[in-house]
Amino acid sequence: MVDLEKLRNAAKEIVSQDDVKYLIGWRDGTFGFRISPHFMESPEEADKLIFSPLCTNNLATYLTMAEKLPIPRGEEPDRRKVAVMVKGCDSRAVVQQLVEQGTNREEVYIIGCPCEGVVDIKKIEKKFPDVLESVEARWENGQIVLKLPGGEQSFPREEVLAQKCLTCRYPNPVLADTVLWDEVEVLGVEEYEDVKELEGMDSKERWAYWQDKISNCIRCYSCRNVCPMCYCEDCVLERLNPTWMFRSVNVAENTAYQLARAFHLAGRCIECGECERVCPVDIPLMKLNRKLYKEVQEDFQFEPGLDPESKPLQASYRPDDKEDFIL
Amino acid sequence: MDSMILSKEKMKDFVAALGQQKLYAPQKEGETLRFSLLGEEDVPELDFSNTTVPPKDVVFPQTETLYQYELGGTDMKEPEGGEEGAVMGIRPCDARAMSIVDSLFSWDVDDPYYLERRSGNTFIGLACLEPCVNCFCTSLGGAPASTEGLDALMTDLEDKYLVKPLTEKGEKLFQKAADVLEKATEEDVASAEKLHEEAAAKVARNVDTQGIPEKLPELWEADLWKDVSNSCLGCGICTYLCPTCHCFDIQDEVEGFEGRRCRMWDSCMFGEYTLHASGHNPRPSRRERTRNRINHKYSYYVDKFGTIACVGCGRCIDFCPVNIDILNILTQVKEAL
Amino acid sequence: MKENGNPYKPYIATVEDTWYETYGDRSIKTLKVVFDDEKIRESWEHRPGQCAMIGLLGVGESMISISCSPTEGKFLRFSVMRMGAVTSALHELEPGDKMTVRGPYGNSFPVDEWKGKKIITIGGGIGQAPLRPIIEYVRANADNYQDLTVIYGARTSGDLCFKGEFEEMSADKIAECHLSVDIEEEGWPHFVGFVPSLLMEVNPSPENTIAITCGPPVMINFVLQNLKKLNFEDDQIYTTLENRMKCGFGKCGRCNVGNLYVCKDGPVFNYATLKAIPEAFA
Repeated sequence: MVDLEKLRNAAKEIVSQDDVKYLIGWRDGTFGFRISPHFMESPEEADKLIFSPLCTNNLATYLTMAEKLPIPRGEEPDRRKVAVMVKGCDSRAVVQQLVEQGTNREEVYIIGCPCEGVVDIKKIEKKFPDVLESVEARWENGQIVLKLPGGEQSFPREEVLAQKCLTCRYPNPVLADTVLWDEVEVLGVEEYEDVKELEGMDSKERWAYWQDKISNCIRCYSCRNVCPMCYCEDCVLERLNPTWMFRSVNVAENTAYQLARAFHLAGRCIECGECERVCPVDIPLMKLNRKLYKEVQEDFQFEPGLDPESKPLQASYRPDDKEDFIL
Repeated sequence: MDSMILSKEKMKDFVAALGQQKLYAPQKEGETLRFSLLGEEDVPELDFSNTTVPPKDVVFPQTETLYQYELGGTDMKEPEGGEEGAVMGIRPCDARAMSIVDSLFSWDVDDPYYLERRSGNTFIGLACLEPCVNCFCTSLGGAPASTEGLDALMTDLEDKYLVKPLTEKGEKLFQKAADVLEKATEEDVASAEKLHEEAAAKVARNVDTQGIPEKLPELWEADLWKDVSNSCLGCGICTYLCPTCHCFDIQDEVEGFEGRRCRMWDSCMFGEYTLHASGHNPRPSRRERTRNRINHKYSYYVDKFGTIACVGCGRCIDFCPVNIDILNILTQVKEAL
Repeated sequence: MKENGNPYKPYIATVEDTWYETYGDRSIKTLKVVFDDEKIRESWEHRPGQCAMIGLLGVGESMISISCSPTEGKFLRFSVMRMGAVTSALHELEPGDKMTVRGPYGNSFPVDEWKGKKIITIGGGIGQAPLRPIIEYVRANADNYQDLTVIYGARTSGDLCFKGEFEEMSADKIAECHLSVDIEEEGWPHFVGFVPSLLMEVNPSPENTIAITCGPPVMINFVLQNLKKLNFEDDQIYTTLENRMKCGFGKCGRCNVGNLYVCKDGPVFNYATLKAIPEAFA
């Protein structure tokens, strides 16, 4: 059970430690169902922290985002820890970053928040489009309770949860320095129904499906920037010398972009679904990522972001690796 | 020309009566609503709160070819312009945005690509009767039925639209379709006005911008910039979906022996935007970039062109993945002044 | 399209001569170019301090300061440091090759206001390129100005641009030239140290003097501090700024420092103006 008092007390204590730089959690947003990442440097800011079914943001992405600005002469780099609150999926992002050495284990303090699933913001805002006042939410008896302006309403999981949560097999943090409350039951079953639907199409239909979706892409790069696994300092798509893809926004270049990203995420995507959540033009990006997830799972019996001791899939080799995809 | 009535049933006839013209209108593409060129069978989708992508891309496309050339040659061929068209279903906030950006594109040197589309198209607005949760147009001198930047304004009266031509261009367009239009009664006009007033009263969020343009640069080192940029992802949503954001990049693109110099939207939120060839970046982090975005809209643009480059459409708030809320920033600015 | 002309469309020019100013990874090459169209050649007017957008079809464009004075003749000179895709391609150009030029852009040094004054330029590295036209201009109009002093330094003697010209100017008593290198090197007869220190060593009097500086941001910062120590008033100090640019005429948005556009309000700025803008020396 989520215990806000426990969460805030733990945060106060952690952020007061000398070896902790700041803590990243969640707080109420400025309107409706939105929540906001909360960066706190002092214990006084802990009272704003929340954890609720609205806490969709994967905060692990911030571990690799802080700009590495030049350090003034004579000063040492600040190697203190960043404390980060993680759900199950978010913890997998941290693990995968550790595997790839994108994040240093000594510089992160992981606060685990077992999670019963988060709300699909797009779905809920479609149901309730005009809510200005900040909405409180909680899990209760397997249902999602929202405190709406007209009073409390309960919703079954299937009705309001994000798709990734309905198939989630890792609702509990896979790695944490502290876990705030009891683990939750695993309810998700992965059947890859959406992927199978795409696989059922012939290649022409599938091409038409994706071209239709990808033609909408405005290349705002929010999917890349929100992704905890997209942290290259020098991304190929911004390289001009040589140019790997044109900056022109058209279906060909957009496809090149989205495919390049999907392939770079094969064996690395930890299914947090953030790319799809933030996409302003509703491209079903997780279908692409999940297709590759399924391939990797079937061909290499590998799931990323579970074991910090594992090797990155695309950088490891076994003599019995399948080769039938090489023509 | 007096106000006219366009029955919703006659929308198809109306579109046909406009003739061979290019007609842009909101179209659904999946869940996303954006302006696109209507095909023969298409009807404008006019039942919406606002489009995801603002209509700025009609006059300032996300990607456009400035000129083409053959590799090794010196001839530069510009695209043919001059075609006339109309854009239908523009929300008054987005129309105001265009008139704000006009000042920039005609500042000293005319931008022929933008201005030609501005003068070649007729802009038909659609009054906003149900403002969205994050609309704040009334704080910035706009209104749900403002007419700035428009050639005609339509108001939804359930089974029909009241059409009010505002300029000669607007009149000319509707005259072409005179056969499918009816005369509006005084009651029609009165009920539209009533709806406009009611809509203005429904705008729930607001900010008092007084003092912000003058004082904003004084908050250069304020903590608020670190606070608001901590969670920023550095993506292009707020700028690409902003109806007044107008920054662009110019790139040469070559396929085979065919080359083109094109321009495409760019965003001040990207690090590469200000990166010098030497590797030096005058805006090295999200803090400087966020600060520049707000200062540009709420102070620099006012210095240069006498108006805030924000119309309160609320898109940057609606679509920001991490709930960076410009009204919240402005409120903090007000408090810090 | 575009009855009034299309500002994005460049003129075609031919490279007449090229030579290296410096060698190495970031070598600097000077291109002397002439417009193909005689009408453009005749009607083109630029003033010291202005820039032009130069480039190659198929590669792209870069904003480069015009490093010659209009008093030198009906041609343009650009001294280009090899940096990115465009400047690397420009370095490949040989005499006879075609390139694109549009402009001129930006404001210029207020040479008329400065009549009767002493002029000091303080440059570092490639920052000498925008200073060269003002030196040449003053040299060509020597009757209108008092003394000309040139302070210029680079990392090593091999990194100094326009070297021969300084020797010539000193020999002909046209200007007092002070050169420096950052690091001690054999056979270097001049100052060793950074440009701001050389400035203190030269110790110019601020009386009836205009100081113009251009160079890397760090150097500019210290030069400004030192000019203040030498009692220069803010409005006696000028600098030229650079920023990434795409259009050159105030549309593309990226070159602003605070509320000023480098392409339109600059690149030449008076220190009194810039001082008020915190972002100016970022």
